Amino acid sequence: MGVEELVAALGDNVLTTTLNKVIGWGRGNSVWPAQFGLACCAIEMIAVATARLDIGRFGSEAMRASPRQADLMIVSGRVSQKMAPVLRTVYDQMPEPKWVISMGACASTGGVFNNYALLQGVDKIVPVDVYVPGCPPRPEDLLNALMILQERIKARGIATQP
Amino acid sequence: MIPDALVLEKGITARDQWVTVPAERIREVLSALKTDGYRLLVFLTCVDHLIDSSREFPARFEIVYQLRDLEKPADIRVRAFVGGESPRIDSVHDLFPTANWDERETYDMFGIVFSGHPGLTRILMPDDWVGHPLRRDFPVGGEVVEFSEEHQTWQTAPDEA
Amino acid sequence: MSTIESPGVTVSRTGEQGAFGGELLTVNFGPHHPSTHGVLRLIVDLDGEQIKRVQPVIGYLHTGIEKQMEALRWQQGVVVTDRHDYLSPPINNLAYALAVEKLMGVEVPPRARALRVIMSELTRLSSHLVWLGTSGIELGAMSMLMYCFREREQIMDLNEEISGFRMHTSYIRPGGVFADSTPRFLEMLDKFVREMPGHVDEYEDLLTMNPIWRARTIGIGRLPAEDAKVLGATGPMLRGSGVEWDLRKSMPYSGYEDYDFEVAVSNDCDCYGRYLVRIKEMREAVKILRQALDRLPDGPVNIDDRKMLPPPREELETSMEAVIHHFKLFTEGYTVPAGDAYVAVESGRGENGCYIVSDGTHKPRRVKFRSASFVNLQALERMALNHMVADMIAIIGTADTVLGDVDR
Repeated sequence: MGVEELVAALGDNVLTTTLNKVIGWGRGNSVWPAQFGLACCAIEMIAVATARLDIGRFGSEAMRASPRQADLMIVSGRVSQKMAPVLRTVYDQMPEPKWVISMGACASTGGVFNNYALLQGVDKIVPVDVYVPGCPPRPEDLLNALMILQERIKARGIATQP
Repeated sequence: MIPDALVLEKGITARDQWVTVPAERIREVLSALKTDGYRLLVFLTCVDHLIDSSREFPARFEIVYQLRDLEKPADIRVRAFVGGESPRIDSVHDLFPTANWDERETYDMFGIVFSGHPGLTRILMPDDWVGHPLRRDFPVGGEVVEFSEEHQTWQTAPDEA
Repeated sequence: MSTIESPGVTVSRTGEQGAFGGELLTVNFGPHHPSTHGVLRLIVDLDGEQIKRVQPVIGYLHTGIEKQMEALRWQQGVVVTDRHDYLSPPINNLAYALAVEKLMGVEVPPRARALRVIMSELTRLSSHLVWLGTSGIELGAMSMLMYCFREREQIMDLNEEISGFRMHTSYIRPGGVFADSTPRFLEMLDKFVREMPGHVDEYEDLLTMNPIWRARTIGIGRLPAEDAKVLGATGPMLRGSGVEWDLRKSMPYSGYEDYDFEVAVSNDCDCYGRYLVRIKEMREAVKILRQALDRLPDGPVNIDDRKMLPPPREELETSMEAVIHHFKLFTEGYTVPAGDAYVAVESGRGENGCYIVSDGTHKPRRVKFRSASFVNLQALERMALNHMVADMIAIIGTADTVLGDVDR
C-alpha cells in the first residue's frame, strides 16, 4: 500500500484525532490546582492531599501557590462580597485552558448563609465546571469531582472551547 | 469601685453581674474598674433594641463592655445606652488596646461613632459598602427561598421601622 | 508615590527614610497568599527586610454569621456556630449551648457533660494537629502535614461515628447532645487514646530538636507576658508568654473541674514557646480523654424537656402529645427568657465566647461571638516589629488565627 493510498484511505483526520486524544490524556492526568483555600472546605482540600486520600494518584498533587502555574481553581469555601473581586482576579491570572470546581454548598449556592455578606454562588463571577455538594464535602467527593472533570478534559482534548 | 452617682441600675442576670452607667461618663467608669483590677476587656459590642416589646430601654443602642479581673477571676458587664440619629460614645482604646478593633467592628456593623478613635474605618465590610449590616432595620439580604417561612417576612425589619 | 504591581504583590514607595540609608517600602501580602492561613491581608512597611509597620486587613471571609443567627430559631442556630471557627466546631457549639442553657436555667445530665468534654478535647487535638501540620509545611517541615493529618483522619472517623459527619458535627446542642455514644465509638476512642501519646512523641522527634525548626522559631515573635495581657491575648498565645490562664481551670465549665490536668505554660514568650504549649496541650487533652472515658457516667444524654428537645422516635408512634410537641418544636421552636448571658470556653486558640441577648421570642435578638483569633491578631504588629519579613510566616503560623473566626 502506497502513501497516497494510505492518505486516501484514512483521510486527514487520523493524526489530529490522535493528537487530540494524547493532549486530552496529558491534560486530564496533570490537572494542577491553584492553592486557593478560603474557609472550612480548604481543610478538607488539604486532607485530600495527605496520605489517606492522596490526590497524587490522580496527578493533581502539585498545588501551585501562583495562579500563573495552575489550571484548576478549587473554590473551597464561602466567597464574601469583599473577596469576590480578588477571586475573579486570581481566575483571570490563570492561563487558558482553565477549569473551576466549586467545592461545597457555600461556594455553589451560598449554603446556610443566605445573607448580605456572601456571594450567593461563585458561578455569578466565574464559570464553574463541577459543583461538589456538602458542607464541607467529604474528601472523597472532591476526588470524585476531579475524576468527572478529568473525563471531560479528556473528551474535549485540544479544543479550547467546549 | 464605681462611684454610686454613676450607677443608673445594677443587677445579676443569669449569674452575670452587670451595671448600667451613663454613656457620656463611660471613660470614668471603665478607668475606675480598670484600677479595681478589671484589666481585660473581653469584648465590646452593641445591641440594637429597635422594637423590643419585652422590656423598656432608655435608648435604641446598648453598648456592652465585658470586663474581667484575671486575679479573682470575676466578670462584670457594663452597659451604656446611646440613641439619636448619629449615636456617639467615647472611645476607650487607650484604656484597653483590644477595644481598637472591637470599636471599629461596632462602627462597621452598627454605625456607632467612637469619639477619639485613631482610625475609625470599616473593618469587615468593603470600604465602599453602604449601611450598617447588624442594625435591625438592615435586611438580612441574600436570595429569597420560595415556600419557606421567610418567603414573606424575609426581612427582619418591621414594617414601621 | 510610585507603585510597582505584580501578581499578588503590590509594592509602593513611602518616601520615608529608613535606618540603613534606604527608603521604606510598603508591601502588600495577600489576601490570596499561600502562607497567611486563609484570606488574611497584611500591609507591611519594610526597611530593607525589616518590618517596621504591619496593618492587617481583615473581612475577606466575613460571612454575616451574627446577622444570620438573628434570622434563625434558637435550635437552628447551632448549625451556624459550627462554621465560624471551622477548626473547632464542637467547642463553638458548646459555647452557644452553654449560653442558651445559662439563660434558660437548665442543667444537662452528667453523661452529656462528659460527652461534651470528650468532643471538646478531640476537637482541640484536631485543631492543634491542623495547626502543626500547616505550620510545619510553611517553615519547611513538609512531612509534618502527612503525620498530623494521619491522626486527624482518625479524629474525623470518631466524629463520624458519633455524629454522622466529619467536620461540622453540630453534636453539642442546647439541652444536651445529639445522640448517645455508640459502643464502637468508645472502642475506637480507647484505641485512639492508647496510641496518641506515641504519635505526639513522633512529632516531637521531628521538630523539638530540629535545628531548622529551632532556628526559625526561637527568639522570633517575642510577646512578653505583660504585653500579652494588655493586648488581651488568650489561649496558647498567652500561655506561651508564661501566664497561667486557662478557662478550663480558672472558670471551669461543663465539669472540667472534675478532671485532673495541667495547664501548659512556657516562659519562652516566642514562637517556639507557643509550639511547646500546643504540644503539651495535646498531651493533656489525651489525659483528659482517658479520664473521661474511664469514668463516663451512665444515664440520659439530654434533659427531659419536651418543649426544648424532640421526643424519642418510639414515643411518636403511640403518644399524641409527643406528636404535638414534635410538630411545635420544628415549626415554632422554643422560647428563651428575655435577658442576656455570656459564656466563655477555651478553644484551641483561646477564649471563644458567646454572648446572647434574648427578647423572649423564638429567635435570638443578638448573638455575638467573642473570637480568640480576632483579638490575638491585634498582637501581630507587636510580635512582628523589627523582625525579618520571612519571620512573619512563623509569627502568623504560631499565632494560629483562623480567618473564619476573625471575620465571622
